[in-house]
Amino acid sequence: MTTARYILAFAGAVCLVCAVMVSGSAVALRDLQAANAERERQRNVLFAAGLADPDEELSEADMAERFAAVRAVVVDLETGEELPEVDPTSVDPLVEAGITDSSRAVPENFARIRRVERRSVVYLVEAEGRLDAVVLPVRGQGLWSVLYGYLALDADLDTVRGLTFYEHKETPGLGGEVDNPNWKALWPGRRVFGAAGEPIIEVARAAAGPVAEDPHRVDGLAGATMTSRGVTNLLRFWLAENGFGAFLERLRGEAAG
Amino acid sequence: MLRGLLDRLGAPFEKGGPLHRLWPLWDAQDTFLYTPGKTTAGPSHGRDRLDMKRLMFTVVIALAGTVAMAFYNTGLQANLAIGRGATPLPGWRTAVIEALGIGFSPDSVLAAVIHGGLWYLPVLIVTFAVGGAWEMLFAIIRRHEVSEGFLVTGMLFPLILPPTVPLWQVALGISFGVVVGKEIFGGSGFNILNPALTARAFLFFAYPSDLTGDRIWIAADTAPDAVSGATWLARFSLTGNEAFAETFHPAGGPGITAWDAFIGFLPGSMGETSVLACLFGAVVLAATGIGSLRIMLAVAAGTLLMGGLLNLVGSDTNPFFAVPFWWHYLMGGWAFGTVFMATEPVTAPSTDGGRVVYGFLIGVLVVLIRVVNPAYPEGMMLSILLMNVFAPLIDHFALRSNVRRRAAAAALVPEGGG
Amino acid sequence: MASETRRVLMDPLIHNNPIALQVLGICSALAVTTGMQTSVVMSAAVVAVIALSNLSVSLLRNMIPTNIRIIVQLTIIASLVIVTDQILKAYVYEISKQLSVFVGLIITNCIIMGRAEAFAMQNPPLKSLIDGIGNGMGYAAILLVVGAAREVFGAGTFWGIPVLPLASEGGWFTPNGLMSLSPGAFFVIGFLIWILRTFRPEQNEAE
Repeated sequence: MTTARYILAFAGAVCLVCAVMVSGSAVALRDLQAANAERERQRNVLFAAGLADPDEELSEADMAERFAAVRAVVVDLETGEELPEVDPTSVDPLVEAGITDSSRAVPENFARIRRVERRSVVYLVEAEGRLDAVVLPVRGQGLWSVLYGYLALDADLDTVRGLTFYEHKETPGLGGEVDNPNWKALWPGRRVFGAAGEPIIEVARAAAGPVAEDPHRVDGLAGATMTSRGVTNLLRFWLAENGFGAFLERLRGEAAG
Repeated sequence: MLRGLLDRLGAPFEKGGPLHRLWPLWDAQDTFLYTPGKTTAGPSHGRDRLDMKRLMFTVVIALAGTVAMAFYNTGLQANLAIGRGATPLPGWRTAVIEALGIGFSPDSVLAAVIHGGLWYLPVLIVTFAVGGAWEMLFAIIRRHEVSEGFLVTGMLFPLILPPTVPLWQVALGISFGVVVGKEIFGGSGFNILNPALTARAFLFFAYPSDLTGDRIWIAADTAPDAVSGATWLARFSLTGNEAFAETFHPAGGPGITAWDAFIGFLPGSMGETSVLACLFGAVVLAATGIGSLRIMLAVAAGTLLMGGLLNLVGSDTNPFFAVPFWWHYLMGGWAFGTVFMATEPVTAPSTDGGRVVYGFLIGVLVVLIRVVNPAYPEGMMLSILLMNVFAPLIDHFALRSNVRRRAAAAALVPEGGG
Repeated sequence: MASETRRVLMDPLIHNNPIALQVLGICSALAVTTGMQTSVVMSAAVVAVIALSNLSVSLLRNMIPTNIRIIVQLTIIASLVIVTDQILKAYVYEISKQLSVFVGLIITNCIIMGRAEAFAMQNPPLKSLIDGIGNGMGYAAILLVVGAAREVFGAGTFWGIPVLPLASEGGWFTPNGLMSLSPGAFFVIGFLIWILRTFRPEQNEAE
């Protein structure tokens, strides 16, 4: 019974059935999965921009309503220009950063980012036809892991609207306190750029002053020096020339002109 | 007279007596007061006057200096910080000091010793009460005598804790150390890991905010004055040699000399800050042959090699590379770990060659963890525990190479030539 | 036959537990048991995969050529795992994100291959299905206990609901950070095995 022909035929049949099963499920469920991923992304953007609270239950309609003010835009990081012809949902900057053709190497930096995607997706929050806030995806090395998050800036492109991390593996209770709402509440109102236009925002090693007196520093995370420094480093990286520097420069020019 | 009293009291615990199951408890205190009545029955036995209890007693003497530091330095660091504007931590300790009217003067030795004792003694008492209870429990269940090994574990554990460690964590830590670190493997003498270090490692990973960071090494609230309580290991890993210019001492004033570090009136775990006190212990242990001098020297050699190598290599992003290697001897728990932890006979290799390899690798690893791994400012605990695990393997290879060498030597001798 | 079915179903729960006695499938048991929700979803995924793989392998057992049987089993298991992963991503997105690669790694879970090769290849479909469910439940039992212990002691919550008031929020409980790290699961499983073997000494390995 176990002739070579039978073995080949049997193997072929098993493969065929399995292939149909796998691809069938993948195709049938693709839309649902994509919708999940998109909703997840929208939620995080809304958190960073202060348009939603992590504790509140958002219905489908709430999300759509609040996200209506948000426009996702694909940006060429080197020139800072928008790429209006590219559909933002078709771009995954994190995937592109890992592919040689769609990314570029950057000089050694404290955020320990080796390659940066050539194009990224940013979110413009608009109110009454004017720019209200910009939400930038940021990432960088903390203590144990890469922190992934969004930084939202006011229309002056200097004042922080909010900062939220959606993925990290820092020590619970120490570095993991980046998720603590009390700590996140310290961010709005801080200013990221110094007089010369260089990013000087800093997570201090100890307590920082109130916003008015100490605008460029935020309280350090108690007992988590490395995570605190990681947040400083990643923000400074993404606000400078290898990150969104060119894009912010262009927006500033448009606002002035 | 005491003997007679003990014998009468002890009767119910003898075989057949009603309290027979509790014999280990009785035996423990009885043999502590009197030399065991039992002698070997066989025709020949080595006459080693060093019984287990004397051995433990020697270790306790070796620890005297570090215990003194736990009393004095713990209080001194707190009082110095308070002198500079920190506030005493609220709680019963402060209440006791105020009730006694001693105050927090950093100049008074008595005030420092009492303040330090109020932090150190409760930790010591909890360690012995809880750890001792586990020892008794296992002795009763397993029907053997209570081993004295715990005396040393119980002495070591409080000395490697920060003064502010919560007492319930001390209880939990020593429970883990005794049960998981030792009893699971069959009790004293069968353990793979050093129980005191196992207990500390458990707390270190379970409650990092109470065992690491900048706020725990001084028993005073340093926040108002921003007296930094960071250990220097943490500072070196941040700024490297620039840290030398910082204020290390809660008394104020910038800079630190090797002499300061050697004497050890600095913030840190209660018994580990003074290299001098550990050196005293090293002399006692080495002179009595209880602690292996070979291991201690091998750790020093490993640290020298790895530290020196990193000094030569250098790094642009990690300033710790440039800190001169000899500071590793002076910082953190190096001296304490090398003298009292790495040499523990049960968990270290028992062959001479194995000991050299074991100590050397501890020395190499401690520098690597301190300098290269950003997560852990201190590496002594982790490197000793890791090498504990490898000790049996190291012994195995040491024995095999010995066998091979002798076989090779034997092969050179002509057949029948003897 | 009823008692036979019962034995096939219940044996793997305590008497012959795949994790506690055979110490299989430890990798995922360590990685996904930080909370109850992930443990439950992971358990469900494993029960589904192992039951269906046992069933399909058993149905094909007389047709599978011996010399390619392992690769056939693997193909079936891999396909089932991918389908499971797709379903989780579509319907329980949040939790499937936390489970990340570990759903995919069910393919390498030794329990599943082990049951297919050791049981389903020799036994009729219904019995194999029951055996698969039984072994899946044995795995699930350990996962749920470990997940519960780790979530309660590591975060003070159960199924995301606070049960022990946290010290940082005015309560008395300080979460045990070791429990949220993978070694915490090692200790919990170790204690479980200790307890199990204390009460059932026959499970001890021969010296």
